[in-house]
Amino acid sequence: MFISGIGIIFTRGRGIDSFENALMQGWTDPSWTDSFPAYRVAKEVLSDAALSKKIRRADKFSKMAVFSALDAFKDSGITLNSNETIGIILATAFGPHTTTFSFIDDILDYGDAGVSPTKFSNSVHNAAASYISTVLGSCGPTVTLTDFSYPFQNALLLAESWLKEERCKHVLCGCVDELSVVMEYACKMKMKTAEDGKIRPFLFSDCPVSVLGEGAAFFMLSEEKCKNNYGEVSEIKLFGESKNNPDIIIIDADGMTGDESDYEKISNTGLPLAGYSPVFGSMKIGSAFNFAAASLMLKKQHVYRCPVLDNHSQMNLCSSTSETNITGINCVRICRSDQISIINIKK
Amino acid sequence: MKVVISGIGTISAAGFNLEESLCSMKNGKRNAGPVSLFPNVLPYPVFEVKDLAETVETKSIRTFFLAVTAAKEAFKDAGFSLPLSGVKAGICLGTTVASQLNDIEFYSAFKKYGNVDLKPVDRYLRGNISEALAYLIKATGPSVTVVNACSSGTDAIGIALSWLRSGNCDIVIAGGADELNRVPLCGFGSLGILSNSLCAPFDRDRTGLNLGEGAGILILEREDFYIKRGKTPLLYLSGYGSAADSYHLTAPHPEGKGLESAIKKALSDSGISKMDVCFVNAHGTGTIDNDKVESTVLSRVFGENVRYFSTKGYTGHTLGGAGGIEAVFSAAALKHGWIPASAGFLSKGDEIPVSPVAVNTTISGSFAVSTSLAFGGNNAAIVIEKV
Repeated sequence: MFISGIGIIFTRGRGIDSFENALMQGWTDPSWTDSFPAYRVAKEVLSDAALSKKIRRADKFSKMAVFSALDAFKDSGITLNSNETIGIILATAFGPHTTTFSFIDDILDYGDAGVSPTKFSNSVHNAAASYISTVLGSCGPTVTLTDFSYPFQNALLLAESWLKEERCKHVLCGCVDELSVVMEYACKMKMKTAEDGKIRPFLFSDCPVSVLGEGAAFFMLSEEKCKNNYGEVSEIKLFGESKNNPDIIIIDADGMTGDESDYEKISNTGLPLAGYSPVFGSMKIGSAFNFAAASLMLKKQHVYRCPVLDNHSQMNLCSSTSETNITGINCVRICRSDQISIINIKK
Repeated sequence: MKVVISGIGTISAAGFNLEESLCSMKNGKRNAGPVSLFPNVLPYPVFEVKDLAETVETKSIRTFFLAVTAAKEAFKDAGFSLPLSGVKAGICLGTTVASQLNDIEFYSAFKKYGNVDLKPVDRYLRGNISEALAYLIKATGPSVTVVNACSSGTDAIGIALSWLRSGNCDIVIAGGADELNRVPLCGFGSLGILSNSLCAPFDRDRTGLNLGEGAGILILEREDFYIKRGKTPLLYLSGYGSAADSYHLTAPHPEGKGLESAIKKALSDSGISKMDVCFVNAHGTGTIDNDKVESTVLSRVFGENVRYFSTKGYTGHTLGGAGGIEAVFSAAALKHGWIPASAGFLSKGDEIPVSPVAVNTTISGSFAVSTSLAFGGNNAAIVIEKV
């Protein structure tokens, strides 16, 4: 399964070039609201005159999904012979909950019979995927998944199955999550927020710090190698050991899944280690963004400096941005000590 | 590689298990009434599961309890004891309500006071139904919850089929579950598609759907794994198809383009022709648009002798649970050799090209199709085979 296009919306803008610039630039301060830091996506990023009619009723969640999916499609340069050749897989942890709360506002303010049907239909998890299929004119299989542990990994696994079964020739596969006041409150109360705004992926703490993020990352995945190619996904493991020997390991540690001490064991191999969550923020879907960084590294044969280098365990961190020869990268996510997920991407 | 349906289980207003549900359908018993689960002023009848016994799972979310109840029946039917060991098991369940933090009391308190008890958030975070079931039965394969609105259950079964074919699992627990909740009740009310009376799918005078709750679970196994367990297959999940309308967020494509494509893909995936299908368990919600489009597509694809029905007259529309429940009923119908009357149907209007089955009917074929249409223009179909 080849990665033929990438589209991203995150705190520093839209598009794979913005993301690469951010990786080059390194850590920047998040935005602060009532002393709470978060990597929020600005409203200005979410306007697109060319699409304004088709998505005029879409909420922020759906817009982030549509823009990043469309960008991944454009980035691939693929032209379609049939509208059924693309499958769409959207994964999320929390879905469009801002719209759900807005719908509940209507119930509280106007009563059960006074609510908005538009808000209700946009509050459904699969509204975003529906907008994507409508904008692209795609009639292939379209599915929305939710998971609090491995949403991106499960989406990739399904994309791989669909391509193998020839349900479609390409899959637009990606993740979306948004912030809201409720989410920020819950995280503030339940998690440890980084007071200086810095996520520290390499402290392997049992009580790590986080800085919430939001955004979307989509990938055009193809059974055959396309003109634009970032690399090949050669292995998706939800449990257990990888059979591949990577040149670099990228870890998803971002303070979002609690105890991160299990990352230390898998990181302590002597191989160069990286983690880019301080660029885009803490998210259950953070794997998709690290996967995008890995894809860029393979395509450009470039290693990006880790944005935050705090490293008490003396790991071999990627500490400078430079050209290099990379043939394989393992992207690692650990949510439970008995479940280590590894995605291997090859040049 | 074939995929065996080795166990089925269900719970809904039609019954606490499959046997009770089939009994309700055989006797035309429709257990609908006013909402008792939450305060509500809307006049729409619902299909509620009454008198649920208190268990460990009821301390989680109601949807999870419904899912676990059906799963336990399905595991028993398949001959598995819990927790699973030495089996690579995946979990793929569909839902709508359980994916959302739509706790009105919590949100209202948050708005009012800013500082609230986070127990509802904890319950929500523990309530992703596939993750929670994976944890409960100690599953060691992929687990993911499908949130494709009303086709979630059917799509979840289709994803399970892909996992098994690609060798990611030995068995998969698949299906769907959903609970009644005030938020979707208000939402569907606002769309103007709820009926004030008992729903009447495909009937000339239908006025809308009734919401329901429940779960339908299938235990699916790789055939080689099942045979190694010393069993002889009786039912197979032989195909799945899915297609998007790419048309509208809430309305189906007027010609049912996506549904037709989904059904044809499912038949092709099964390697059978339309002539091999002995009945279709239709989505049949009782809304004007859905039933018109669906019956038109069914007659176009299968011809005017198509035998089809909707079981939503017995369960209500259980949203993310519907595909799972209807797959269970389809499998049971093939196994037992009869299909139920499409409850609520009395007479055919001009826009319905072929009448659904109006009385309980004996069948003898080998293949059944179950269809789902959803918000967002999703369409899905599965094919079930009896040996």
